Amino acid sequence: MVILESVEELLTHIKDVQIDAIKLSSDSLLMISNYIEKNNLEVDDDVAKALQYQDIISQQLTAIIEAIDSVQSNIDRFNHSHKTDETLAVDSIKKLQEKLATTINDAKDKKNRFSGKSTDNTDFDEIEFF
Amino acid sequence: MPLVIFVDDSETALASTRIVTNSMPIEVKQYTEATVALAEIEAGMTPDLIITDLNMPVMNGFEFLQALRKVPATQRTPCLMLTTETKAELKQQGKALGLTGWIVKPFNPAQLKQAITRVLRLPA
Repeated sequence: MVILESVEELLTHIKDVQIDAIKLSSDSLLMISNYIEKNNLEVDDDVAKALQYQDIISQQLTAIIEAIDSVQSNIDRFNHSHKTDETLAVDSIKKLQEKLATTINDAKDKKNRFSGKSTDNTDFDEIEFF
Repeated sequence: MPLVIFVDDSETALASTRIVTNSMPIEVKQYTEATVALAEIEAGMTPDLIITDLNMPVMNGFEFLQALRKVPATQRTPCLMLTTETKAELKQQGKALGLTGWIVKPFNPAQLKQAITRVLRLPA
């Protein structure tokens, strides 16, 4: 289906932009941290927290890239069925919907899991000892 | 000086921990792959404290911890998890595997230093 091919192209573009964003933010953070280390600068709590955001952003974007990979793979399978047999395609579109719903749920779960305390405006948690 | 190893697949996360701990009386070694840290431990490195991330490719933090407990030199070495994960089930799993404690990212520098000081019994 032509429309799905356009969606796939758009998804590939989104992934490329995200890969570039991860690389740029990582390079930027490493330059800043090298400067801090080279000049033996003390960092306060806010700066220490800011330094850790890149890791969280990178994890979030990587999780979205994985979700896009999964969506693309499911679209590919649907397209293949559609081209092979139109009767199969009706069944395949239901499967595609189910798989996309699973992918979205997984992605949302990862968003929560990979945020840590970054979206929490309260103070840092105490470290938990067992 | 006590040896503390940090394992995290993110170089920027390792940079943050290095900056925060550079004034402490400890030797720090950092690894982006748990398998590499494990190989060095199996070859004779004896860390006094291990601080590891949970979600890592190839070998995750729990698999790393399980492997560490099979090496005689690190069977009882204190190990802290430094992760974005906050789920109670994961903490329980870590505790059952012999984890010493759980730190949620982004960490507070003073608390990370206190945790290292406490585990290694360094002078406050």
